[in-house]
Amino acid sequence: MKELNDLERAARSRRRAFLAQLAGLGALVVPGRTLAQTAPPPQDPTGTVPNAEVIAAKAPFFSVHSARPLTGSVPAEWHDFDVTPDDRMFVRNNLLTPSLDPGKHVLRVSGLVNKPLEIPLAELKKMPAFTTQSMLECAGSGRSAYEPRASGTPWPSTGGMGCPTWTGVSLADVLARAGVRAGAAHVAFSGEDFGVVPTAPKVIRSIPLAKAMERHTMIVWGMNGGDLPRVHGYPLRVVVPGWVGSASIKWLSGIDVLDAPFKGTFMDDSYRIPRTPVVPGGKMPADAVTTEAWPVKSIITMPGPGDRFKVAGRLVVRGSAWAGDHGIDRVDLSLDGGRTWAAARLGVRGDKYAWRRFIFEAPLNAPGELVIVARATDDKGNTQPQVSTWNPLGYFWNAMPRVGIVVDKA
Amino acid sequence: MTRPSRLQASAAAGALAALAASTTAQEALAPGPGAALTEAKCAICHEIGHVTRVRLSRPEWEETMRVMVQRGTPLTPDERTTITDYLVTYYGREAPSPGAQAASARVAAAEAADPVTLLLNRNACLGCHAIDRRVIGPAFREVAARYKVDAAAAPKLAQKIKDGGHGAWGQVPMPPNPGLSEADLKLLVDWVLAQH
Repeated sequence: MKELNDLERAARSRRRAFLAQLAGLGALVVPGRTLAQTAPPPQDPTGTVPNAEVIAAKAPFFSVHSARPLTGSVPAEWHDFDVTPDDRMFVRNNLLTPSLDPGKHVLRVSGLVNKPLEIPLAELKKMPAFTTQSMLECAGSGRSAYEPRASGTPWPSTGGMGCPTWTGVSLADVLARAGVRAGAAHVAFSGEDFGVVPTAPKVIRSIPLAKAMERHTMIVWGMNGGDLPRVHGYPLRVVVPGWVGSASIKWLSGIDVLDAPFKGTFMDDSYRIPRTPVVPGGKMPADAVTTEAWPVKSIITMPGPGDRFKVAGRLVVRGSAWAGDHGIDRVDLSLDGGRTWAAARLGVRGDKYAWRRFIFEAPLNAPGELVIVARATDDKGNTQPQVSTWNPLGYFWNAMPRVGIVVDKA
Repeated sequence: MTRPSRLQASAAAGALAALAASTTAQEALAPGPGAALTEAKCAICHEIGHVTRVRLSRPEWEETMRVMVQRGTPLTPDERTTITDYLVTYYGREAPSPGAQAASARVAAAEAADPVTLLLNRNACLGCHAIDRRVIGPAFREVAARYKVDAAAAPKLAQKIKDGGHGAWGQVPMPPNPGLSEADLKLLVDWVLAQH
């Protein structure tokens, strides 16, 4: 209904002006009630970084999806960057954000290795390091778009991802120092984060040896040229590029080489997906598998939803596309909701696991509302679906992104 | 191309961050047998919004409880049964969908942030008026345009809203709104006059 949209728009713009005033006043008082009426958050436990500190370091458009554990992200229209800045990177904790002393941080390598290692952080940093840009995306990114709603953190349809640069060493080089023994099949990672109750199990996930030995699977201490921010794993984390974010354990302190996938609640209860589609709303099949690489996906980073243009102007659409272990070969753009398509220009194919930027330009000839849709295709010929296949835990939402804009009379 | 929304959002940085934090504000659990226990156990690790935002079937709640025990929730078997029964009863699939709840939460949030929206909604103004189109009464824009040049428009309009009337725009009468305070009337009149 047009009038309601108008009303909402008017309310929204007034609200923004109102908020701008409040930002100046430093008080958040709303007629009739105060936002401070919400229950005070519990004390941040000793040895943790307060949520408020994490949130303060994020962009103003960072929205918190849950406070305990902390999860949050910045929507696609604020991701118009070749490299994701620190303040746009999504946050997905399973437990609390630990505050760690880098001087005391040690990486232990154990399991099916010839020589178990205890490597102090300073020593690890003397190994041959490199920097590369790689995708990281939460398995549940986009979950809210599934119907019926899947349980879990309500990730909005965009934003649970980022593509910063990472600095560190290849996991393979560290494993080579320890010497992987015959029979090794999986490599498990554990971090120094802890929960509120002592009974909370550690977040431990494992990946197959082949992915562990891939050069771009890294142990990193740097992000975007600086130290890892504390919420992103300071002082050390794994980056398993292109795979579900949960594989990339933060605050890394333990690497365990195993002869089979790790057994634990973060392998067997979460991050699972049916082998073949199930009826929406159905149960997880017994033979479900653990989530690994993301399928092909894209976001539109410019324009943003509801942006206004003038007739006779020029529309520039930009975005990013990625595809788990694969590269991006093609991105098509539609300005009419998917009826007609044209190829977007692709940016350079950068680092192996970096997203690929795309751009599309078109004249704006008539007033009205345009629905922009993007559709990425990877180098195996896989294309984004209209709607992603429903699964009980709501993972891998990768449907074509849509952004509606308004073109006003000149 | 201009992006006013982004510029304004930047200006509102601090307040937006505070709002972002408040989106996870605690909502109370629905009262019922087991509510206190459910709150006590879930709130060890989660804000209660983790519970109130979902609607699950019994098998789904049972599965959730199983996983939460795996994740370290200290629970006796009796407590687990009590909490599961509570959740199935008050947060079952049959209860209002989170989408509907979220929609009403959005309306509530818009109303909280914007007193005009609250007044328009609570007094059913939008049953007869729209911003740019005649419904039963005139569009707010038409009203604003007519009174644009009238210096005494504000008190006249306030009187009309309060007492109701007919004849100015047609023969369907506008009902009176005697419950509106002077401050509310001023908010509404200023807003209507700003719609031209």
